[in-house]
Amino acid sequence: MVFLAPAVAVAGGPYLSATTSATWQDNVTNAPSGDGIRSSFDLDAGGAATWIHTVDFSTLLVTSLSADAEVCTSYSGLDCVALGPQLCLRHKLGLGALAPNLYAGLAGQWVGFNDPERGKFEGDLIFGYSQRASDSVQFLLDGKLGSYDARDVVFSGNFASLVASVNLDLDETWRLRVIGGWRVGDLVANYTAQQSPYGWEPIDSDAFNLPGAWHYVRTFNEPFVAWRVSERTWSYGAAISPAIGRHSSLTLQFEHFTSVGLDRYDNNVVSLSFTRQF
Amino acid sequence: MRRVTTLILLAASASALRAAGTVRVVTKDPTGLAVPDAVAYVVALDAPVPVQPPAEPVAITQHDQMFDPYVTPVVVGTSVVFPNRDNVQHHVYSVSPAKKFEIPLYKGESTAAIVFDHPGPVTLGCNIHDWMVAYVFVLSTPYFAKTGADGAADITGLPPGRYRLEVWHPRLAGKVGRELTIAESGDTTQVVSVTLRPDRRIRRAPDGGSSDYK
Repeated sequence: MVFLAPAVAVAGGPYLSATTSATWQDNVTNAPSGDGIRSSFDLDAGGAATWIHTVDFSTLLVTSLSADAEVCTSYSGLDCVALGPQLCLRHKLGLGALAPNLYAGLAGQWVGFNDPERGKFEGDLIFGYSQRASDSVQFLLDGKLGSYDARDVVFSGNFASLVASVNLDLDETWRLRVIGGWRVGDLVANYTAQQSPYGWEPIDSDAFNLPGAWHYVRTFNEPFVAWRVSERTWSYGAAISPAIGRHSSLTLQFEHFTSVGLDRYDNNVVSLSFTRQF
Repeated sequence: MRRVTTLILLAASASALRAAGTVRVVTKDPTGLAVPDAVAYVVALDAPVPVQPPAEPVAITQHDQMFDPYVTPVVVGTSVVFPNRDNVQHHVYSVSPAKKFEIPLYKGESTAAIVFDHPGPVTLGCNIHDWMVAYVFVLSTPYFAKTGADGAADITGLPPGRYRLEVWHPRLAGKVGRELTIAESGDTTQVVSVTLRPDRRIRRAPDGGSSDYK
């Protein structure tokens, strides 16, 4: 990115946006079996400041700084704050609303949890593609290669993900979205635990077959062990989003996640979010 | 002699004023609602009437990431400037056959006026903000007007003769036109029924929600 600096002209900013959301998920523990499954309800508020710079005729350099705070009403250990910059090149291949857009960039984030061993730094390579088929249909593909380093190795890992979505605007107000996603990489599965002569260990004996680091956690108000596993996760979902004026929208989204591998789990996530551009 | 000349000129002017008719065009959709932002124009059938572009350029501004006005009728040869009153840059363009151009990202006054030198509709857009859209309708007749919120437009200064009345709107389905005759003395009102396609514009409101792994 540095070699671009002399050619970059400041186009404007900061442009501010804010999002607040409420999210319910039925398996916050990523547990494969019934006795370890716990649900949670989270409240989230965040904002971002974005600056847009002109690189050339059809290329923009978009820099942003975002901050976010999340309260997990079920498990206070999952309360967290996040702060991070993003640097992204956006290029439009041609003129007009139907011309395809490409982007690639870097994102960094520090996340501090109430449960301090989960605190982490994350670095991502982000890339994507979007194109409108018409005024009312838009296809988007978002990719991410990420690595996060937590205070505890169980909560550290690497991943790659792709999310494809299609926006269908019924009119200027109502938008429907269909989402499909794929992720491969490390995640944390949590199992109910019992104390043995050797210390805390999962009740589910199958968990002993899992490779990777694990240890006892107090996050869920009862004995659990957290296990770092490497999985493939598929997701699909849908959203409905009415615009509220020109600068705001409300979005109700459902997404189902299912993992494929040694630790097979399902998670249903329902969120209601409000986004405002200033 | 000078007095006689003056009298003759005054008489001629008065005659010309008397002869200038007005066509009031009232546009309505099939449900009877007024149709604003329609361009009503008449084309002389007896002899072509030359057009004279205005000396000063016409302005289409960008404000709150929208073009204003939404529809701008001009005659062939008119210069148009695109001042950007936003605090964000815009990249104004058109790929319409009547005028292809683009003004790369800029803020404030646009660098140069764009001359619209061929008749026809021109769709304007911003290559950054896809929801921004506006229209320039380039005419080869000097007799035109744009309908207001009440759906009415007055085309003035028409000499007596035969004309063809046409109406254009960005969402017009089909062609609307009729012949009419302007008499020495009279003004006329023409009620035109127009059928519009649905107003489909790109949504401007931000995307909400995310698909982050939980």
